[in-house]
Amino acid sequence: MHRDFREETERKVEPAVTEAVKKRSMMEVEMIVNGVSRRLLVDPFESLLYTLRERLNLTGTKEGCDQGTCGACTVLLDDVPVLSCLTPVARCSSRRVTTIEGLAENGELHPVQKHMVETGGIQCGFCTPGMVMTAVAFLREKPRPDEREIREAISGNLCRCTGYAKIVEAISRAAEEMQS
Amino acid sequence: MKNDSPREEIAERSYVVVTTVEEAVARARELRGDYQYVAGGTDLEVHRRQELVAEHHVIDLTAIKELHAISIDGEELSIGALVTLDEIISDVVVRERVPLLATAARSVATPVIRKSATVGGNLLVKNRCTFYDQSGSWRSSIGSCLRDNGDICQVVGTDAGCYSRNVSDMAAAFIALGATIVVRDQKGEKRYDLTALYSGDGIRNHNLLENDGIILRVQVPIKPVASWYRKLRLRESLDFTSCTVAAAVDERNYIRVCINGVSMAPVLIEGDLAELSLEELHRRARRSCQTVDNDLLPLKYRREMIHIYLEEWWGSIHVDA
Repeated sequence: MHRDFREETERKVEPAVTEAVKKRSMMEVEMIVNGVSRRLLVDPFESLLYTLRERLNLTGTKEGCDQGTCGACTVLLDDVPVLSCLTPVARCSSRRVTTIEGLAENGELHPVQKHMVETGGIQCGFCTPGMVMTAVAFLREKPRPDEREIREAISGNLCRCTGYAKIVEAISRAAEEMQS
Repeated sequence: MKNDSPREEIAERSYVVVTTVEEAVARARELRGDYQYVAGGTDLEVHRRQELVAEHHVIDLTAIKELHAISIDGEELSIGALVTLDEIISDVVVRERVPLLATAARSVATPVIRKSATVGGNLLVKNRCTFYDQSGSWRSSIGSCLRDNGDICQVVGTDAGCYSRNVSDMAAAFIALGATIVVRDQKGEKRYDLTALYSGDGIRNHNLLENDGIILRVQVPIKPVASWYRKLRLRESLDFTSCTVAAAVDERNYIRVCINGVSMAPVLIEGDLAELSLEELHRRARRSCQTVDNDLLPLKYRREMIHIYLEEWWGSIHVDA
């Protein structure tokens, strides 16, 4: 049975942070993550990536370089793609965060996810969540991109397996499907 | 005894999002230097990972609405310091009136980073060096450098100074266009030539901001110029510049060429086109650029590329003429 880590984590965190709050080195953040309102006590310098993975157990978002060079941690903040490793969670108060876990609707994969699977755009899969989130935001801005535009859009997302050809094809096919 | 010092009321570490410039400056005064202003954060957060940030407090400026605007102000284009590089690229007025800025912005980092990274942040990007922009353990393994509490510069092997290089692509473009900046600090608001921001010191990179200063906006003259831009880097995406050249020639044939990524501060060469020759440009560039071996690309290649870019640009304006 699926274990709901969310409430458990928040309960677990609470006593531990009480001391820190007394010392006034923790802060409260309220944000909407994948449609669910979350209220958390966080370290003031904590990254959104850390909060998602370690406090909310949303491990779909990957930690690659942790310094903004690989794109594996890309999520949407108010629908704008950001590198969650470089985004302080303190900045996310009252904002909407969408991760790879929040992309499917009613059990249906997003077209980008679907075509990544169908074209073989996924090999080891580590870059995939970041690549998909970048592509989803890009297709909202540019619904009919050409290949050069797709390659530029994902130029900050590193993939060491596929050689990018299948990823570009998947995004291109997703664009076509979203237009039809 | 009751201690009513405001310092006692401040947390050990804090992250505060402010909504006005006044609030930011007031908060900075309370923190007495132990803070960093942050906008996009794409540079600061990397430095935090690398243990290069000692301050305990962060003042987040991103919610200050007045710093997000692009507007025409008389004969000038006014660009708020918090305008993102992505907004520069897509702004119709910028693309039509000062396309050099859009070209420069497009050459910075990656499309996703450009959605967070701001104009002000790019102008204030910390100088870089292969011996400094590394993890704490990497730096200590080589004995640290002058900029990092070491005794000598690891590049040149002496204690004469730090040669870290300024890598702001937007600075090169703005300086070529003759831009000015408006800074607000504890004493009030004042306008400066953008070149005055850069100290030429590899350790303390910037002037004008000592008194809790914030760059509010950049003012760019709107006038017809023929502009040109090149950036040398290892990969076509993400990498910081190894050498950027931005050039502009106005209708009176006055030229401003800015070379960056090769010295401790952007290097400006300017003068009347009629009085300059390519040889003179090369001579001034050689004299002004203090290029050392502190980049992934080899020193000899970078030095040569400065002259190749100058030659390419010089050829382009003479073809147009």
